[in-house]
Amino acid sequence: MGGFDFSNHSRNAALHAQGFPLPTATSTGTTIVGCLFDGGVVIAADTRATSGPIVADKNCEKLHFITPQIWCAGAGTAADTEFTTSLISSNLELHSLSTGRQPRVVTCMTMLKQHLFRYQGHIGAYLVVAGCDPTGAHLFTVHAHGSTDKLPYVTMGSGSLAAMSVFETAWKGNMTRQGAVDLCSEAIKAGIFNDLGSGSNVDVCIITPEKATLLRNHITPNEREKKMRDYRFKKGTTAVLNQKIITRADISKYVTVHELDDGTPVAAEKMDVDT
Amino acid sequence: MSSPFSINGGAAVAMVGKDCVAIACDLRLGLQSLTVSNNYPKIFPYGDVYLGLTGLATDISTVSDLLRYKVNMYRLREERAISPQTLANLVSSSLYERRFGPYFVSPVIAGLNHKDGKPFICGFDSIGCIDFAKDFIVSGTASDQLFGMCEGLWEPDLGPDELFETISQALLSAVDRDALSGWGAHVYIIEKDKVTKRLLKGRQD
Amino acid sequence: MEVLLGITGKDFTIICASKAAMRGATILKASDDKTRNLNKHNLMAYSGEAGDTTQFAEYVQANVQLYSMRSGTHLGPDAVANFVRGEVAKALRSRRPYNVNLLLGGVDPTTGKPSLYWCDYLAALAKLPYAAHGYAQYYCLSILDKHHHPDIELDQGLKILRMCTDELKRRLPIDFKGVLVKIITKDGIREHDYVDDKQILPA
Repeated sequence: MGGFDFSNHSRNAALHAQGFPLPTATSTGTTIVGCLFDGGVVIAADTRATSGPIVADKNCEKLHFITPQIWCAGAGTAADTEFTTSLISSNLELHSLSTGRQPRVVTCMTMLKQHLFRYQGHIGAYLVVAGCDPTGAHLFTVHAHGSTDKLPYVTMGSGSLAAMSVFETAWKGNMTRQGAVDLCSEAIKAGIFNDLGSGSNVDVCIITPEKATLLRNHITPNEREKKMRDYRFKKGTTAVLNQKIITRADISKYVTVHELDDGTPVAAEKMDVDT
Repeated sequence: MSSPFSINGGAAVAMVGKDCVAIACDLRLGLQSLTVSNNYPKIFPYGDVYLGLTGLATDISTVSDLLRYKVNMYRLREERAISPQTLANLVSSSLYERRFGPYFVSPVIAGLNHKDGKPFICGFDSIGCIDFAKDFIVSGTASDQLFGMCEGLWEPDLGPDELFETISQALLSAVDRDALSGWGAHVYIIEKDKVTKRLLKGRQD
Repeated sequence: MEVLLGITGKDFTIICASKAAMRGATILKASDDKTRNLNKHNLMAYSGEAGDTTQFAEYVQANVQLYSMRSGTHLGPDAVANFVRGEVAKALRSRRPYNVNLLLGGVDPTTGKPSLYWCDYLAALAKLPYAAHGYAQYYCLSILDKHHHPDIELDQGLKILRMCTDELKRRLPIDFKGVLVKIITKDGIREHDYVDDKQILPA
């Protein structure tokens, strides 16, 4: 990351001084949890993103990839969790390339906390870090101000109280993989149904020393009932004042970019950049 | 006083159809309650990908100009047109760069993937968090109304003509319930081999 | 109580600005020119904070002329408007922004098409058939909504302008000392001898 650009700040501060409120960013008013089990670790999250009282995204992804064996669940300001995890993911890849070793979960947690502490809580990322490395399975929480915890089961976000009540009721030591997945799912469901900031589906990620398995939409307890009838409008419903058709053939008169599809492979074409 | 997002007013919406996407915006530019222009489009083409921008008018211009520069540089360097997914990441990182001094805009992207022709839409908050939706994206001062309209009218696999009627009716109905948006609309229907741009008649109040 | 008005027609743009230079409740001058020629076919009218306005106008004027000297070409109305907007937007992100509202009137010398751009101190730019800044917006835009057509002749344009200035005189509580009127056509910018010594009284 080239660092932040503060050049709009003085203008926005002047605007704020005139009485304009600051913008509301999309936040993952969220339930995220994590739980260690015998031979690995599980993290889980709900899939609701909110902007004030509005549900901005009904099925967003809050489980972020860090390395193949380290995953992160994010709560707080959505943009911050997204960019902070991808920054640390990149730096950890470079780190493991330069050391020639598999990245460790503590390393990831330390990089995250140092980054977040530097920004004194202004980067609003609240994270559950989980993964397996040569030293075993690990589970951490990292707060926006830079503090961390290491616990056998954790919850974060606005639904953390609902989720923690499930853990405090049903958690026991030396759990099985399935037991941990089920317990985490139940904790997320407690958040989904009892916390307004959380909702929709349950995403789960199971990490063992062998591999990580992402179960996207593991449980979907809030499927919308299919509409019995529809509001299709007949063609010509809307009054149109003017219409212009731009065909691809017309555009190619001005822009001369063509796909190479004559069968001869070009080296750069093999790179899959857009997926 | 109101937020910077509602000084000038405006609304935009994008929808997915069957092998096509649609993006639409209203045409009002205002200063609080005074309407300054009734011909201020908020959709900008970047090759065959379309970007809708609502929010503070000065930032709509600044962001659209900045992205035009970045997309043109991309095209020169890569010798190919930018894909919707790449533009989405470009918009996202450009906005997050200004995390602590944001542009007051809510962008919306619509386009078809170059490789497989799959419809792509997405939206952003003002600091670059991407909202990948499979159905529709709304933005602007009429976003609450648009959420309601789209949630009711949208359905999967609408053809280009049906999609046009659905997005148009959703937008027109939404802006009629927002004092800061309206005064006509632009609707783009993007298909594999052509783009149709239509000007809609809206209420003039 | 500064008045800026702009009207386009078939082949011309009229720019009109009040002649009073005010500081607080005092009128310092009754023959102020709030316009600046940017080049042969582009005129900028400005209002806002006293020092900022002329400082900004002269800066922009110099840079538009510098561009022409360097490149040997003249900037058209669209290019000028976008350049000026860029400068306001750039200043907006600085420690002390310019507090200026602008109207940019021009005629494209090649196509002969008139143009009018409206730009406020936040650098919101809009191309319009007719525009105003300040209180004139509230009094004149409704008159222009009713009477303006894109293909009016110059005399009709001036007739509508008269209706606007009469309304301003009738309704504004402070005298703005009449207006300075400039007309831009494909032949260039000229000052129009605008007679308004008639007293208009409220109904």
